[in-house]
Amino acid sequence: MSTDPEKPTERDGDVSRREFLGATGTALVVTAAAPVVGAQAPPGNGAPVRPHTAIRLTLNGNVQRVEVDDHWTLAELLRDHLRLTGTKLGCERGECGACTVLVDGKPVYSCSYLAAWVDGRTVLTVEGLTRNGTLDPLQEAFIAHDAPQCGFCTSGQLMSAKALLSHTPRPTPADVRTALAGNLCRCSNYNRIVEAVVAAGAAGSTARTQGGA
Amino acid sequence: MSVNTMKVIGHATPRIDAAERVSGRAIYTRDVYLDGMLYAQVLRSPHPHARIKAIDLSKARALPGVKAIVTHENCHYVWGAGSTAGGVQYNDDIKKITTQRRYAFNNPVRYVGEPIAAVAAVDRHVAEEAVRLIVVDYEVLPFVLDQEAALRDDAVKIWPEGNISPDARNQFQPTVQKHGNVEEGFKNADRVFEARYSTVMCHNAQMEPRSCVAQWNGDKLTVYTPTGGIANCHHDLARDLGMPDEKVRVICHYMGGNFGNKNQNQDADLITAVLAREAGAPVKLEFSRKDDFVGMHGRWPTVQYYKVGVKNDGRLTAIQLRTISNMGPYRKNSGSVSGIELYDCDHTESTLFPMYTNRTTAANFRGPSDPQGYYPIQSHMDDIAYAMKMDPVDFVLKNMVKPGPGTVFTNYTLDECVRRGAELFEWKKRWKPEPGSDRGTIKRGAGVAFMAFRAAVGSSSAVITVDAKQQYTLYVGVTDVGPGAKTTMNIIAADELGVPLSKVTVVWGDTDTCPYSVGESGSRTTSMTGEAVIAAVRDLKKQIADKGMPTGSALLTASATPMPRLDGKIRNCFGANFAEVEVDTELGAVKILKFVAVHESGRIMNPLTAASQVKGGVAMGVGMALHENMIYDQRTGRPVVTGYYFDRVVTHLDAPDVQVEFIEADDGYGPYGAKGIGEAGMITTPAAISNAVFNAIGRRIKDLPITRDKILGALA
Repeated sequence: MSTDPEKPTERDGDVSRREFLGATGTALVVTAAAPVVGAQAPPGNGAPVRPHTAIRLTLNGNVQRVEVDDHWTLAELLRDHLRLTGTKLGCERGECGACTVLVDGKPVYSCSYLAAWVDGRTVLTVEGLTRNGTLDPLQEAFIAHDAPQCGFCTSGQLMSAKALLSHTPRPTPADVRTALAGNLCRCSNYNRIVEAVVAAGAAGSTARTQGGA
Repeated sequence: MSVNTMKVIGHATPRIDAAERVSGRAIYTRDVYLDGMLYAQVLRSPHPHARIKAIDLSKARALPGVKAIVTHENCHYVWGAGSTAGGVQYNDDIKKITTQRRYAFNNPVRYVGEPIAAVAAVDRHVAEEAVRLIVVDYEVLPFVLDQEAALRDDAVKIWPEGNISPDARNQFQPTVQKHGNVEEGFKNADRVFEARYSTVMCHNAQMEPRSCVAQWNGDKLTVYTPTGGIANCHHDLARDLGMPDEKVRVICHYMGGNFGNKNQNQDADLITAVLAREAGAPVKLEFSRKDDFVGMHGRWPTVQYYKVGVKNDGRLTAIQLRTISNMGPYRKNSGSVSGIELYDCDHTESTLFPMYTNRTTAANFRGPSDPQGYYPIQSHMDDIAYAMKMDPVDFVLKNMVKPGPGTVFTNYTLDECVRRGAELFEWKKRWKPEPGSDRGTIKRGAGVAFMAFRAAVGSSSAVITVDAKQQYTLYVGVTDVGPGAKTTMNIIAADELGVPLSKVTVVWGDTDTCPYSVGESGSRTTSMTGEAVIAAVRDLKKQIADKGMPTGSALLTASATPMPRLDGKIRNCFGANFAEVEVDTELGAVKILKFVAVHESGRIMNPLTAASQVKGGVAMGVGMALHENMIYDQRTGRPVVTGYYFDRVVTHLDAPDVQVEFIEADDGYGPYGAKGIGEAGMITTPAAISNAVFNAIGRRIKDLPITRDKILGALA
């Protein structure tokens, strides 16, 4: 991988960004409606400038333009550069599921998915489940059924469960176990997690019925 | 013995911090970002045993963005929580007599994964690249992996004194515990049964890999680190760095799992602190999953030789045990195994050889001495029950430890746990009097195991204040690693004060603001820190009664450090677990159909989180019983299992539905009679599954884990 700042990258697209970046290797975050909202790494810190790409994504409902180094994983973008630290890293090799987020509604391991690949896509993280300070019914069910013990796998479990409920609104325990098989919990609190997801499905269906469906 | 109903205690209460945990707002160590923070990576030994002849750092230092590098040449700190005589923890005097020192960086290196150097750089990618540019010239030495091989006279010596790790007096000899006279016991026996069992290293494998953020402000060090005991971590770190305690601050607000041995400082903490001082900037060290697997510890593997004498009526006359434990090259913990104390037997003898080997260091893991102790003895006793033509439950009831002149318990419910468990499980219906008698290739069987596990009491501190608005603030040094300690302390304070939970704010996880807590290990936070909370609240209530509520900006403050005693009695948690399994004799696969866990852990403070502890503990025990094994390549001395995939920890698809029932009791000790629960579910599970597999197939698997190949081999 080249560290030459002048060398164009393959995913250059139509966005000019060298003038924004200078020689800092910094992530610039630009929302659709606002100027720069965050530039986390201090400039001139001696980090080499690496090939990078401008991408546009819908993150937790907001359209954002972001400069990403080509080798960044989606987890790295979310955590280190956008400071959405609810997405956890348990293994960084696609084994544990703690980093699960939804890309276009499908669960992916964000540790094993390049940030550049979310260009033009929709990303939902655990932070996006809460709307205007109100927890999602799934989160409420996790609380009521004591699904988090240490809480480190919880974000990933929630995101896989969210994807399941979107296509299977009333899952059976077996449905939940299959859908969440890629999300490890070393507290091994699996019984509680399954209970919570099944309860969220049942409650959600009741709410829809009461809503006049 | 039943318990009276209380206002807040004993009611199912969701965790007070659950909203933070489900919304991504809970800040774990790796979520801490400080201005100007550098990132660190560790270079680890690829050899199981080697002397470092030279380290060439020139290329790494020349890489732009590298700010500091430390090795054994410029970092000489002893990691005190490392090798200690007898594996005794939290004891500065023991560390003074320890002669085999473990440093943050050692030469020679004694296992694959031992730190060689650490680099701090402007970002993690530069740090990773710098680690790759370090050139080390090794003199590769011969190595030994197996603990029985390490015991042989001609074995490679890992330390000059030999491979037997010293006892608590720093003597290089095995430890022997005797009760009665086993020779006499064997003379009185009608039959004698001998067996060899082995257990393997299972990694703690908590979801959050080790990490640390260290920052210096002048001569004051602040460390963010995942630790189950901020107070012990704080004191150990200050001692290792040669600093006064008050110059070190340890912060851990959320932690991604503990399961043992994070109740001190880790080498990661020392390394990060030193790098931050060298670089003059805050440093974050992040372990990869592989770093965590090979560089940190797992449960000590054991080989256990049992010899048991029995009368024709099924009563035990003698139990003799010889254990050889595999501690890795440094002694962190005891290496002992429990189990003999479960039985009512006049003549017992247990000899422990804690052996050094060139494997990852072994240490505490949820029930440090217990599941790998219970599995062999309860499997062997199960075999004896069948040999004596007895129902295993009857054999347990006949021979399990009971109250007597030498064994005075604060309370005793073991018989009740076993009987109630058998009833709930429908033992008579599920158990096969003739093992392996199911026809066809799919065979079912049932097994029982039981526990009597220490329920410690001891000292911790708590501080509580009340302001003019009658809002209470409770300061406790817990970190809440998963069992829900913060919530439990809130429940205890609210109940004792007679106020709703929300009237008490809990401050936790920071040594600058919180008093001493024992730390979340040994299932003792509820008991010890809970007792301190009660004492502090009672003092505060007395002050309120004397002086009235404070006004204006005044506060009333009370603190307490009670020193509870047991009056020479034994205080135990009791429990009995029952498992039904289905074995596919063509595939060797084991499926758990039913699991019943009946536990007496005193008064249950929060039935919601207490049951989660048992459910999770049992599921974790299933992994130990059936899958987990840190396998080594015997030729190279390298670990083959360095992550979750090959470790095969339990997943959603493996975890059984666990039926939990508590028998509640108040023995007059601990906070309202509460005992511990964190380790209880784990420790009986491998034994219960072993016994159920035997009942299904009529063959005893004497080496954990009970994998498919072993079942097929036993049936072949």
